[in-house]
Amino acid sequence: MAFSNQQLLDDLQQQFANSILLVEEPFGLLTIETNRDVIINMLSYLKGHTTFQFIFLTYLTAVHYPDQKEKEFAIVYHLHSWVHNFQLRIKVFVPSPNPEMPTATVVFRSANWMERETYDNMGIHFVGHPDLRRILNVEEMDYFPLRKEYPLEDQLRQDKVDSMFGR
Amino acid sequence: MKEYFPSDYVPIFVQFVLAIGFVVVTMIATHLLGPSRKGKVKDDPFECGIESVGDARTPISIKYFLVAILFVLFDVEIIFMYPWAVNFKSLGWFGFIEMFLFMGLLLAGFYYVIRKGVLNWE
Amino acid sequence: MKITTLDKAPDGIEGEGFFATSFDQVIGMARQNSLWPLPFATSCCGIEFMATMGSHYDLARFGSERPSFSPRQADLLMVMGTIAKKMAPILKQVYIQMAEPRWVLSVGACASSGGIFDTYSVLQGIDRVIPVDVYVPGCPPRPEQIIEGLMKIQELAGNESLRRRNTDDYKHLLESYHIHVQ
Repeated sequence: MAFSNQQLLDDLQQQFANSILLVEEPFGLLTIETNRDVIINMLSYLKGHTTFQFIFLTYLTAVHYPDQKEKEFAIVYHLHSWVHNFQLRIKVFVPSPNPEMPTATVVFRSANWMERETYDNMGIHFVGHPDLRRILNVEEMDYFPLRKEYPLEDQLRQDKVDSMFGR
Repeated sequence: MKEYFPSDYVPIFVQFVLAIGFVVVTMIATHLLGPSRKGKVKDDPFECGIESVGDARTPISIKYFLVAILFVLFDVEIIFMYPWAVNFKSLGWFGFIEMFLFMGLLLAGFYYVIRKGVLNWE
Repeated sequence: MKITTLDKAPDGIEGEGFFATSFDQVIGMARQNSLWPLPFATSCCGIEFMATMGSHYDLARFGSERPSFSPRQADLLMVMGTIAKKMAPILKQVYIQMAEPRWVLSVGACASSGGIFDTYSVLQGIDRVIPVDVYVPGCPPRPEQIIEGLMKIQELAGNESLRRRNTDDYKHLLESYHIHVQ
C-alpha cells in the first residue's frame, strides 16, 4: 500500500478545502461527501493525480432517502486505483424535486451508461450527457421505478388473485 | 476408330431438361398449390426480432473487383500459353515470335496497370 | 433389454404391399414427429432445456433433432425463461416471422405468468403478446415435464387441420394479439 486513507484525505482536504463535508470509513473504505459544484473537478484531479492514479470509475449510482429533506438523492461514485489497489467512495447529495448533476462523462467514458442507468431508475438528470435516455427499461415508461415513492405492489393489477399470493 | 455422331449426345440433353424441368415444375406447383399467409412484418428480413432498418447494400472497396478482373485477364493469357507449350516444336520460329508479340501486348497493359497504381492495395 | 415398439398406425386401408390413409393423418404424423424447435431460452428454464436436449433426457428422439434459431425454419417456439417488457416486442416479431404451421410452448412460471417476478420490468406472461398452445408450469420444470409439454404439442400437431391457417378462427386469434396477416 503506497499510501493510507489518512494521506489521501489530507491531500484532498488541502486541494478542496471547503468542500469535503463528511468523512467516514465504513469497513476501511474511505467515504467522503462533497457537493455537486466541485465533484467534476475532484474526479479529474483524482484521475490525473500522479501518485494516486484513480483511473477507474468502478461504479456510479444513486440512493434515494425520501426522509432526509433537502438531501434526498445521494449520487455515489466509486473510484479504484489499479496501481495501488486502493478504493475511494465519493457521495454527493442533491435535493429532490428535479435532481440534477453535472455529467462525469467528461472525465470517465464509462460514466456514460452508468449515468443512463441512474437516470432510468432514479430520474437524476445529468447535465451535459451526450445521450441521456433510458437504458434498461422500456422507452415509454414515464416514471422512475427505483425511487421509494411507490407502494411495492401495483394496486391496480387485475390478473393476480390475492388469495393465491398469501393475502 | 469409333465415330461419334451428334445424335449420340441426345441423352445428355434429355437429362439436363429433366433436371431443370423437375425444379421448375415443383417450384411452380408449390407456389400455386401450397397455402401461405403473408404479412408486412412476417415478410421483413429476420434480424433477431428487432426492426430492420435500411438495406444491406454497403459500398465495397473497388480494389477487390480490380484484382479479380486482372486475375481473370492474365489467367486467360496463361491458358492461351498451354497449347503453345504442347506444340512448341511444331510451331517453330513463327509461333514463337507470334506468342511473344501476344505476351508483349499484354505486358504493355500490365505496365500501364502498375503505373496507374491499380494494384496498390491501400 | 427393452423391446422397441412401433408407433400406432393411423386408420387406413391395408393391403398386399400398400397402405392407404388420408392426407390429414399422414401429414399430421409427419409434423408431429419432426417438430423443429426454436429455443427462445432466456434464463434458468433455458438451462433445464439444455439438460432436456442432452443425452439423458434426449429431446431429439421426439423428432426435435434440429433446434433452429431462425424462425423461418422452426415449427415450435419454445419460450423458456423470464421475458422482460423490453424483450416482448422482439419475441412478438420472432413469432410473427415464423412460418405456419407454428406452435408455442411456454416453459416455466416466468414465461407462463411472470412467475415470482411481479415487477415493473417483467412481462406477466407471454400470452399477453403471442398466442400460446401449451404451458409447462414449474420453476424450473424438470426435463420430464418439458418432454410432456412437447408430447402435448405433438398431439396438437397431429390433429391440426391442414387448412387451419386459412380459417377465420385463426385470423381472429391473431387479430386479438394485433398480429395482421393477409
